Amino acid sequence: MRFIVGYTDTPAGKDALALGVRLARARGARLEIVLVLASESRATLVPAAPSYDRHVRELAESWLAGAAARVPDGVDADTHVVYAESLAEGLLDTSKRLEGSMIVVGGASNGLRHRYTIGSVPRALLHSAVVPVALAPRGIRKLETSGITRVTCAIGRRPGADRLLDAAVAAASSARVPLRLLSLVAVDLPADASDEALAAAEEHATTVLDYATRHLPEGIDADVVIASGSRVQDAVASVSWDPEEVVFVGSSRLAASGHLFLGTTAAKMLRELPVPMIVVPRDSVITIEG
Amino acid sequence: MSTQQQSSGLSKKGLGAGTVGLIGAIVIGISCIAPAYTMTAALGGTTSVVGLQVPAIILVGFIPMLLVAFGYRELNNVMSDSGTSFTWATRAFGPYIGWMAGWGLIAATILVLSNLAGIAVDFLFLLISQITGAPDIAGIATNPFVNVVTCLAFMFAATWVSYRDMQTTQKIQYVLVGFQVVVLVLFAIAALVHVANGTAYDATPIELSWFNPFAVESFSSFAAGLSLSIFIFWGWDVTLTMNEETKGAKTPGRAATITVGVIVVLYLLLAVALTSFAGVGTGEFGLGNEEIQDNVFFHLAGPILGPLAVLVSIAVLSSSAASLQSTFVSPARTLLAMGHYGALPERFAQVHPRFFTPGFATIVASVAASAFYAVMRFVSENVLWDTITALGMMICFYYGITAFSAVWYFRTQWFRSVRNVFFQLLFPLVGGVVLAVLFVTTIIDSMAPEYGSGSNIGGVGLVFILGVTVIGLGFVIMIVQRVVRPAFFRGETITVGKSDGREDAAVELAE
Repeated sequence: MRFIVGYTDTPAGKDALALGVRLARARGARLEIVLVLASESRATLVPAAPSYDRHVRELAESWLAGAAARVPDGVDADTHVVYAESLAEGLLDTSKRLEGSMIVVGGASNGLRHRYTIGSVPRALLHSAVVPVALAPRGIRKLETSGITRVTCAIGRRPGADRLLDAAVAAASSARVPLRLLSLVAVDLPADASDEALAAAEEHATTVLDYATRHLPEGIDADVVIASGSRVQDAVASVSWDPEEVVFVGSSRLAASGHLFLGTTAAKMLRELPVPMIVVPRDSVITIEG
Repeated sequence: MSTQQQSSGLSKKGLGAGTVGLIGAIVIGISCIAPAYTMTAALGGTTSVVGLQVPAIILVGFIPMLLVAFGYRELNNVMSDSGTSFTWATRAFGPYIGWMAGWGLIAATILVLSNLAGIAVDFLFLLISQITGAPDIAGIATNPFVNVVTCLAFMFAATWVSYRDMQTTQKIQYVLVGFQVVVLVLFAIAALVHVANGTAYDATPIELSWFNPFAVESFSSFAAGLSLSIFIFWGWDVTLTMNEETKGAKTPGRAATITVGVIVVLYLLLAVALTSFAGVGTGEFGLGNEEIQDNVFFHLAGPILGPLAVLVSIAVLSSSAASLQSTFVSPARTLLAMGHYGALPERFAQVHPRFFTPGFATIVASVAASAFYAVMRFVSENVLWDTITALGMMICFYYGITAFSAVWYFRTQWFRSVRNVFFQLLFPLVGGVVLAVLFVTTIIDSMAPEYGSGSNIGGVGLVFILGVTVIGLGFVIMIVQRVVRPAFFRGETITVGKSDGREDAAVELAE
């Protein structure tokens, strides 16, 4: 299993690397640290300067060497400089070529104005990745921890929920940590939801817990929590979080209502949660077997 | 254990042969020269010094440029480095001359950046007035406060684009350059049609003597005209040095030849057509009129093209915008190299970790150009005109040093082959001498208060004050750097050396 880390020599890049290391260690994966440079074959108004490009390339290699030096013993890591039209494209291409199982990037936007919104790179990735994308929250590199303590899976009834559950189960199994299922069904409902709706939420919770328990190996616990509140923000605030856990959420390119509902949920949760989030695409190729 | 290995198989380094291609190289070349911008900025001024002989000056002005460009290419072949003139002059003549060559390049590009933005401001307001049909709007550009604020906005936009390394698609670039060339040809033909129909402003019959450089009245006029025509070809050299990415083919030479052919024909056509249409008198639309000299197209587009004048505005605006961007990288990369080799504070060597541009250097260049423009707008009666003249001086300065660097650096190789005799000795030497003579002549002549636009401070020409201040400032900063950061000046980062005929590994920007 290979995890692709989208690295830049910035705080966001170091956050991504720190998360990549923790995930790789927990799941026994190998890290492919990738630095994407602008493709030199793209159209440009500026005459190409081979000497400058060489300089940038060597800088990139030295940044990657610094990144590799930060990877602790026990985790295998390779570094790559790749050229692509955009950062997202470079990561997707590399992931495809190396058969990566996950792409890890800094989640927050770099801009001052968009401090708490999802960055353009993760957004571009989420629109076309076929493997889960892990978003490292800002400042996670400073966290003194080496692994993950729990996998939480925020699950609703949107298309892609099965794949999401499979991915979370697989992660908890390989990391050998407890799985917590966070049912968002009650949140998906309108604010004036009736008792029936609540009952439906209970039923959904039981179903997913059942499914998870059946697929988890011996010794790995699973439990379920029903998030309440009319907004995602409230739902997130209503449950307790462990800074060392990771959260699996779904992303659907073609949500039932025609927009990126779960993508929005992911964005809202990212804003609220200090924990890493792994967004599983609806048509993820990762299944419980894989 | 963490392994640290480079998987070279994954890296696509450099352009594949022919990726830029012949057309692409020509487009980049024309885009860098920005003929619509250079002609509107330089035609009036050149006419005012050489009269009817503008076509002759254009042809002659190309010669020193070509000769120096050969030396430039020779140096680039053996010492490809972001610092270009700075690095080469340091290698050939040592840190002090090298430092001043770098300074000359930076100063010249900063001057042209401010001029580009200034021209763009004029045409922005002209364009708005043409679109809205309200002629008064074009006059807003003369209000110094509005002008400076708009110019700073342009600068900010250009800096933002350069800093973040945003690029247009190749298609847009082709369209913009194609549009520029077509509009200029249309503009020239329309002017000639007016002449033929007898509707020209001051119809002047075209004569062969326009092409005779010896018909220029004095050597001073000749020199002044020449330094302006050096400005109009400045930027062409990039097509000569694009050899590395078009390797494997004969493209670079061909691209450079075709580019310069297109440019020369275009310049001659425009010069002949506009001179024939407007004459060289000082009347309302005469090319000798000081009021219109700094921005000829701005004033002549209406009388020549009528309702189609809007096309000229768009062509000049887009050409200035493209040129702003391609020009921005040049001071930024030289500043970066100077920072890297310790000739300037280390901050200048920073490469942005996300956009991979020389971020700090780009911002410094932009702030300097903006501040320069703002000050000049208030000091000078004719900022565009004076900056162009001072720019010619700075180009002569650093190109001259570059040419001599080539000659001196290759001194052991001169007679290794007939080719070397020409490309490493004769061509750059003659080019360098011409530029040196131009530089000295311009310095002396520009002391007169009536030189250039006639702006002066205390009876001394503003262009002289500008040139001396810029070079003097560079000297002072160099001395400060010498005290603060002596390593570079002791030759610890770049040693003085001479060519052994092979690629020079002593100066590798990235070691």
